[in-house]
Amino acid sequence: MTGKRLPAVSAILSAIAASLLLLFLVAPIGELVVQGGAAGVRQLGRDAELRAALVLTGATATIATLLGVVTGTPVAYLLARRRFRGRAVLSAILDLPLVIPHPVAGIALLLVLGRESMVGQGLLLAGLRVVGTPIGIVCAMLFVSAPLFVSGAREAFARVDPRYEAVARTLGDDGWRVFRRITLPLAGRGLLASAVVMWARAVSEFGAIVILTYNPKTVSVLSFDRFTSYGLSEAIPVAAVLVLIALVPLALLRALRGERDLHAGGMQ
Amino acid sequence: MIIAEQLSARLGGFRLEQVSFEVPEGSYGVVIGPAGSGKTTLLETVAGIITPTGGTLRIGGHDVRTLPPERRRIGLVYQHGYLFPHLSVEENIAYGAGAAGADSGADSGADAVAEVVARFELAPLLRRDVVSLSGGERQLVAIARALAMRPRILLLDEPFSALDPARRARTRREVRIIHREWQLTVLQVTHDFTEAGMLGDVAILLDKGRVLQSGRPEEVFRRPASPYIAEFLGAENVLSGTARLLEDVAPDWIDGAPPLEADGHHALEFSSGSLTLYTVGAVPSGGQVYAVIRAEEVVISRTPQASSARNLFRGHIREITRLGAYARVTLDVDGVPLVAALTARSVHELGLAEGVEAFATFKAMAVHLC
Repeated sequence: MTGKRLPAVSAILSAIAASLLLLFLVAPIGELVVQGGAAGVRQLGRDAELRAALVLTGATATIATLLGVVTGTPVAYLLARRRFRGRAVLSAILDLPLVIPHPVAGIALLLVLGRESMVGQGLLLAGLRVVGTPIGIVCAMLFVSAPLFVSGAREAFARVDPRYEAVARTLGDDGWRVFRRITLPLAGRGLLASAVVMWARAVSEFGAIVILTYNPKTVSVLSFDRFTSYGLSEAIPVAAVLVLIALVPLALLRALRGERDLHAGGMQ
Repeated sequence: MIIAEQLSARLGGFRLEQVSFEVPEGSYGVVIGPAGSGKTTLLETVAGIITPTGGTLRIGGHDVRTLPPERRRIGLVYQHGYLFPHLSVEENIAYGAGAAGADSGADSGADAVAEVVARFELAPLLRRDVVSLSGGERQLVAIARALAMRPRILLLDEPFSALDPARRARTRREVRIIHREWQLTVLQVTHDFTEAGMLGDVAILLDKGRVLQSGRPEEVFRRPASPYIAEFLGAENVLSGTARLLEDVAPDWIDGAPPLEADGHHALEFSSGSLTLYTVGAVPSGGQVYAVIRAEEVVISRTPQASSARNLFRGHIREITRLGAYARVTLDVDGVPLVAALTARSVHELGLAEGVEAFATFKAMAVHLC
């Protein structure tokens, strides 16, 4: 009797704890969308600054994600497939941006890419100004979100059994063809999901961007600006729009994950 | 032809150590060994997936240690098939057909695919998604995929294990036919000793990353190099004892006959407890000697049979284990158990039962000392 009652009690307690956490997470976002969602969508029609911020955010996040995918994929593959000296150090370095506060990341980037730095001066000579431009936004987004892609891509590659690649080699494919014909398609969904996570993280970035490029404003910077300049009521619609944008990659991610689970179920 | 000499390789913590064997051109080699003995690692090393750390590996007369897998033209079939899940069955089979390294003879890739599809009766599966295939179907498609590129060597890792008995027999036969028709050198891993005996021209016995013995399968099965190998290969009668040469007092000696020694073979007497066996061969080096008699070599009768067999013992049936049409009969000969393999029909016709007196007979040649 007691044995049966205990699991029931623990189940009820677990349910209560989970409900409280869920409420804590959902309530502010729900409230924000309820209060500002419709107003935010309406405001898109008449608020040129919000529209520009939205386009800028989407464009810079997409460019940062593309750069992250192109440069991060080989690193992720290397970490998943090869054992080499310094592998653990490389992994730790790649994870570093995830654990430092983002304004600190912004300051660090400013030190390297600012006008006073050698790199910054070199870029200026080449006609590229980083600070205060969309390039700065891309840099900030890339810095804080690329490690998420590398980490996810590494897992995606590690999930592909190397024996698929071995069989393809015996069937006449060299290393590059195996990567293109076998590894990439099998890790594809995982890589896409990692890219979506990176894009979502880039869109929501604020701390590093605000240090490197306050203007032109991304949506996150604009919502902060409206809050400090005009108060909560003006910030709510902008913030609500940002939440609605974040729902798109989230839905995409769920769909990808569902398909991947189905796909994984069929593999040996 | 595959020739490995002192071949060593490492995979994680496992080592393949100084492996030597030879599978002649167009021969069928079988690799036998317990789980974890390095059978798959050996195949992967031959295929070029694992780079050797030492020794030599020659294929078709060329040293291939540094040759990448895609240039070896070696087909590899893993036990679980490893069909590419993002491709259809047809795309899997055609994957390597017509590849740069594949045979550029008269057959085009499409012809090669059509041939293996027909041989293994795979036409109904071609449009199927590989994730919907059964384990046996996957193995068939994997074999077809490896053969469609017309390899010069085929490596098979337990390729028939998931097939039902009827399909297994058909597939085994088909692989054997292809092996003969194409003069294909095959190296197959198997746990099935019957399969090893049926298919193999060369048997390689592997344990803990080392080759324990290699040679013709009947030689390895009948003349195991150690009692461990004998027991691993399923020899029921492995007796420890002492051996001595039979000279002029030998029962085998006939007046006027040539000496008992010829070509290194001696007439020998082996004693284990109260049992004394007669055999022919060389006395193994080392103190402890083991006699191996396969159960299939032991004949059971209810009365002593006059025959040329030198070994005849009286005992009582200790145990009869029936395995369908086959039975294992253990005869107690003064405390020493002797196991014989009989058909269930023979057990019935002889009226064998536990406690019944019976006689065991086997030839001197059936006793192998190691």
